[in-house]
Amino acid sequence: MMFNPLAHTGPLNQMPDLTSSMSETMSVDDMSSEALILSVANLRSRDAYKLLFMRYAPKLKSFLMSKSLSAAEAEDMAQDTLLAVWRKAHYFDPQKASASTWIYTIARNLRIDRARKEGRAKILTEDDFYPSTLQVTADEQMILNQSANELSDHIQSLQPDQKDVLRKFFYEDLSHSQIAQCLNLPLGTVKSRLRLAMIRLRSLVGV
Amino acid sequence: MHPHHIDENVLLDFHQGHLSQGQTLVMACHLQMCADCHALIHLFDTIGASYLEHGESLSLSEEALDLALARIERPEPVETIAVLPAFLQGFKLPPRLSQARIKPRYWAAPGVWMAPIDTDGVGKTYLMNVKRGMNMPLHDHRDTEMTLVLKGKIADYGGEFKPGDLCIRQAGDHHSPSIGEDEDCLCLISSSAAIIPKTLLGKCLQPFARI
Repeated sequence: MMFNPLAHTGPLNQMPDLTSSMSETMSVDDMSSEALILSVANLRSRDAYKLLFMRYAPKLKSFLMSKSLSAAEAEDMAQDTLLAVWRKAHYFDPQKASASTWIYTIARNLRIDRARKEGRAKILTEDDFYPSTLQVTADEQMILNQSANELSDHIQSLQPDQKDVLRKFFYEDLSHSQIAQCLNLPLGTVKSRLRLAMIRLRSLVGV
Repeated sequence: MHPHHIDENVLLDFHQGHLSQGQTLVMACHLQMCADCHALIHLFDTIGASYLEHGESLSLSEEALDLALARIERPEPVETIAVLPAFLQGFKLPPRLSQARIKPRYWAAPGVWMAPIDTDGVGKTYLMNVKRGMNMPLHDHRDTEMTLVLKGKIADYGGEFKPGDLCIRQAGDHHSPSIGEDEDCLCLISSSAAIIPKTLLGKCLQPFARI
């Protein structure tokens, strides 16, 4: 039987022993990113961390460089993001975010704090990932169930002009007005394309 | 759907880090009290993650992995547990607020105390507690003001605002909010322009759809 850490639905501290199951059934290379983060959380597995680092640091470096950071700054921030993954792994809940969404959220928080040159980076607490003060609503559960891969398919199905604006906003990190300048469009058109893209994505997600 | 809908553009600006520090604090606290807005931010994060997942990979410097493996062996910095000032003990507050640098409170008028919050110096961010049943004098807004109700109720021309509701007022708006009769009202308020020049906050902050 293949061991699937994600099939487990109880509290993380009741996770079965991953080491014994892993050695019999699958190598760490085959594990999903979610399972790797859980191994880091529960077993402090260096092997799992190494693999996560190799999977995500090169992507993060590229992603952060698209946001006008230098190669060195982007790599530093990729390092910091993965270090936070190691330290905060016990907050990860695969029911509430896919691995890539969770890692993206950490990178976003670090980037915003750094852009502000805040004296001290905000400490990421459990409430930053999912606030204990909130109940998950039905709509939200639909969104939480979306993996980045599924959403990527939805994004591909958008009209080209909406897709373009969405990419410039989320990937290239341009503001509404910068997108308007870049595409030589009125600001209102940029806003309405972004709004239409969001409406379309929400309906595809089911909320 | 939340009775006081917030323009998606404000949430998008928050998500991309285009709000001022004070406005970011107000929005972050709101997100810990409003499941609808929190869900939308999660959707934005999933969109961002899909670009991350499907974007290019860039090769890292040679020593990157060794450095990463060395860093995880270093002792973690001790995280001090933030403690709210005594005058806020007993309030049920969003956890994010405890990370704010809250200064001592002072009495601004009979029945009204205020506690400034240290931010990056753009605009003013503060907690304000108003005695139940009071009417605030009619006033104008010179710039955008965000008000998050933390306790009690405010009645305004947009309807009734309860804990967790966020009220965004534009420059030129004038109003005279009144505090509910049942209990004192505690609000977190930030009035400022955006600090990051690339944002179009002033234009992006639209009045509520239903007001």
